[in-house]
Amino acid sequence: MAIYPPNKTQKDIDEVYKRAYERTKIIYPKKKTFFSPRLRTLHQISIDKGYLASTLVGIGDFCIDLVAACIAAVKKINRKIFPREDVIHGTKKDSYVTGKITFAKKNDLTTPIHHMQVEFWARTFFGGWRKMSSGHTDEEGVFKLYFDFIEAKKFKYRRSFHFEIHQVEHVFFNQDSGEPRKKVSVFDSFKVKKSDLTGMGYDLGLIQLFYWEYRDDVPIPRVVIKEQNEDAPEYYSEGRNEAAAEQFIPIEIIKDKHLLQIKRNPQSISIESIQDDYPTNLTVAMEREIPGSTRCDYWFGRRMMNGMSCATFLPDEKEKGKYWVKIFGSCDYEVNQEFAFPTVYGQFKIADNGLPLPTKIIVKGQTDAYNKNPFQEKTFTPNDGEKWEQAKRIMRVSSALSSEIDDHFAGTHLNTEQYAIAVRRNVRLNPVAELLLPHLKEVTLINHTADTNLIGPGYIPRASAMTAEGIIERSKDALGTHDWKNWKPMEPISEQHTFAIASNLFWDVVHQFVDYFFDENEEDIKKYWYEIYCMSNDLVNNSVPLFLSEQDSRKWTGEERELNQDRIEYNHLRACFDNTLSRDIINGKKKSISSITKSKNTPAEGDMDNLKDMCKYAIMVATFLHTYVNEHQYEDIGEVLYCSLGLRYGDKEDGIFQPENDYSIAPDLTRATQMMWFSNLLSRTEYGFITRNEEHDIHPYFSKLLLDKKEEFAKLHVNVENIESRTNI
Amino acid sequence: MGAITRGIKGFFAKLYLWIFCKFFTFIIVITLSLKRKRMSHDNGIGAIGRATIVKNQKFPAHDFFEPGQVFDLRIRHASATFLDDAMNCIRSMSIKFSKNEFKSPFDLEMNTGEISLFWSAWSFFKFAQLRKEKYGVEYIEYYKKYPEGLEGAKIALRRNPNSFHDLRYYSKTPFKFKGKDDIKRYAKYRIIPFDNIPETGIVDNLSDVDTGNQRIFPNETRGRNYLKEEYETRVKTQEVKYRLQIQIRTAQDDENPEIFNNMVPWNEEMFPWHDLAVLEIEKTLNWEDSTRTGFSLNNMPKTLGYIPAKSIYDYNSLNYMRAHSEWARKARMFSYKIFKFPRPIPNDDDRNSEDWKKIQKNKVSKFLRS
Repeated sequence: MAIYPPNKTQKDIDEVYKRAYERTKIIYPKKKTFFSPRLRTLHQISIDKGYLASTLVGIGDFCIDLVAACIAAVKKINRKIFPREDVIHGTKKDSYVTGKITFAKKNDLTTPIHHMQVEFWARTFFGGWRKMSSGHTDEEGVFKLYFDFIEAKKFKYRRSFHFEIHQVEHVFFNQDSGEPRKKVSVFDSFKVKKSDLTGMGYDLGLIQLFYWEYRDDVPIPRVVIKEQNEDAPEYYSEGRNEAAAEQFIPIEIIKDKHLLQIKRNPQSISIESIQDDYPTNLTVAMEREIPGSTRCDYWFGRRMMNGMSCATFLPDEKEKGKYWVKIFGSCDYEVNQEFAFPTVYGQFKIADNGLPLPTKIIVKGQTDAYNKNPFQEKTFTPNDGEKWEQAKRIMRVSSALSSEIDDHFAGTHLNTEQYAIAVRRNVRLNPVAELLLPHLKEVTLINHTADTNLIGPGYIPRASAMTAEGIIERSKDALGTHDWKNWKPMEPISEQHTFAIASNLFWDVVHQFVDYFFDENEEDIKKYWYEIYCMSNDLVNNSVPLFLSEQDSRKWTGEERELNQDRIEYNHLRACFDNTLSRDIINGKKKSISSITKSKNTPAEGDMDNLKDMCKYAIMVATFLHTYVNEHQYEDIGEVLYCSLGLRYGDKEDGIFQPENDYSIAPDLTRATQMMWFSNLLSRTEYGFITRNEEHDIHPYFSKLLLDKKEEFAKLHVNVENIESRTNI
Repeated sequence: MGAITRGIKGFFAKLYLWIFCKFFTFIIVITLSLKRKRMSHDNGIGAIGRATIVKNQKFPAHDFFEPGQVFDLRIRHASATFLDDAMNCIRSMSIKFSKNEFKSPFDLEMNTGEISLFWSAWSFFKFAQLRKEKYGVEYIEYYKKYPEGLEGAKIALRRNPNSFHDLRYYSKTPFKFKGKDDIKRYAKYRIIPFDNIPETGIVDNLSDVDTGNQRIFPNETRGRNYLKEEYETRVKTQEVKYRLQIQIRTAQDDENPEIFNNMVPWNEEMFPWHDLAVLEIEKTLNWEDSTRTGFSLNNMPKTLGYIPAKSIYDYNSLNYMRAHSEWARKARMFSYKIFKFPRPIPNDDDRNSEDWKKIQKNKVSKFLRS
């Protein structure tokens, strides 16, 4: 295939792209009916369980839903009848309940939970709630809630009082004034016997909470979630679950149908029929109009630059005007022996139209089942005919898997989670909570789902070369190239580098918004600086080591050294990681994340700027960067034969160098439908957008700033309406 | 309407207090007094002497405290609650302006520590309920739940003081004081050594966990009765004198109830301690006379008595309850007559003990054998 399909021009492809894009845009289905299948929470989905296909399960689920709805209704009525009014009963403050709140995990026992909201409630014999006292823990986690003892001892109150620990569940904003409103929920509560109150102090002792605990079974900063629906540190908003159900149930049904077909009558199903059953994606739609439009060099370069991979173009030091895109394959991570994951270097030139054109592809590593030399190299140019097409496909596939793990999972999901945990554990009274929580919420939940659906026994280890252990190790390494300090978006290399230009445009918006927020809240941000100090400590202490810094470079062979130095150089450039900064060394490990402050009570010089930069970075990662890679999955990995996450070695000598119609290297039927399910799941179930602001949890100024740039973004093929406010899929 | 409601509620609160105190006393009678036990201060030694009211009075004049007046005096020092002087215990000094074993115009009951371990009748009930003593360790749960109780214990416990005489004793909960000018006032009392020698037995930096552990030190060489024996010797060989002091404040209409709280000492700058009387000890009493000695807050002039309490949560309910526990003392006296007089604490190796029953049993069996 040449630069364009035969007798076609760039204009033809651009036009078919526009039409296909419009046709394949995600349209929200209608609301569910009484007989519609149901999805209670996003975490219910499973890569291979026929959850929705079973009638029995469906009926059972309906019953559970019914019971849950009744319980919810009773609770709602209860709340209506017995509202919790924010009025303190009693006038004197002559008695108190005290205690200390710390984390509960074994290596966290001595860490106090500061500034936690605590309340002391009584209930009347008729069920009414009466607030006796409220307050916060101090920096040592100690609380002392004074209340009116004589009031508390009145006959009208029941025998048990309720000591409650509250956490901020969601932050909302008044869409006119921008005034924040926090929705708090009871994190834990303890009954206090009325008879135990004797008039002076009553000590509840040491209260240890399993509250936003760091996991210690993985080398990356993750939060402990025991049971997502009942014992999680946070929960999806109702709207998020509903949106997921609305958008995803049809996809789930298709996958379930395919799995049944494969089980009962595999002859009745093929990769083509699987592809046809799922909603048409961009490349399929384009191919239907102009065959070869998505396989030509023009499209290849365009998608490498502005597609899901949004690759980094490293100037070629030897050939001026040319660039290298480097996709690092399995390297030394644990892989299986079924799928290939070679390292691929692609050389590009920038054409007159500003888009990159591939000029050379070097495939390094194992590409067939026989020659296992990890450093073997094969070089291809556009003159290599069919092999060139195969090399492009291999680069697409390696790039997709690398992008999925390094950029999407590690770069946005895990990267955001480490900020979410540090903020949730520490920032409560500081206005930074109001700034960040809307953008950091729910990421831990979706990551928890990813643990089983994508990693664990999930899709990626089954449909690609990477094992679960390999993914975790690779993610840890990838995370070691991400830091907020001195971060800036990718530099555009041409006017057609729309990803980089849009990134910079969005970065400007984030700058304006965060600067505005800090100007408005500077006093309180400084007042509660202790929270920032603790957050910074948590962030740094729990961050992963610098990329590859744990390896003993003296033991590298010459080839390993060359590859690893390439990886370090390229990945630092890609993540805009400033390797020259001095970073904290904890337990002999140089940490990847820079400290925001070392000052405990007030910001030292430069600390406020550090905090601003950290906030901007966290918002950027959780919103734009995640949205970009996430929504482009549907376009770039939504066609099985165009680009999957892995090519099987097969049994031929040429291994993965086979045409698309050789299904022996393509994913098998089960993985094919799972792949379609996977790309649809990730791209079609988005919910929570900055400008749509479905839950009023986004600061109106941020939405306004973004809407003001709608036209500019549209020219860069970015619809601002589709930029998510948080990483929750 | 409000006044009527308040009146009815007040009546029931007082009624409840009265019933509560009577019931509590009844329990004490059943469980302790009839077994020849005091509620807590069994381990003690009595003495007699005289009390001389100071001439140069710096507190408002009172009919009862005429300058220079001399009263007979009977006192009793004790260690609560264990029957082992070498344990970490609250020490007490009770006095009466009389040599009689009970009858007196003026009694005071005082303990070490400027604050207490409980502050109302209800709080005292919880204190008793959560004692859970085992092998000399007690109140663990109480101290965990009630920070002031823990603090009170830390301040009031005395381990191995040199002498009962060295310590400071406080009445803590205030009393009425209506002097010659008929102005309503409140008073607190304390006793200090006459020469104000430094107090011994104070345990510094006692940890929260160790406060409940009142056991003797490992390899303790002091005997079970060392304090009583020391006091006996001291009285025989030295002059033993104390100062009874008083702290006075004028009552206000808009009184903050906290002034009655025995956990909140009055500010000594605003309400300084004034000498009230000098107490001189002449001789100690033997075990029987010491044990027979009883004190009551009812033994006070009306103008100096306990302050009426309004409910079981009232800080003054403590003294109210003390005053209403008269039946417990009477029952104990009655039990002495019925079951013979309790035997003294032996100097044996049954350390960390409060087993009164065991002591009495041993003695009886030995008595029967002899």
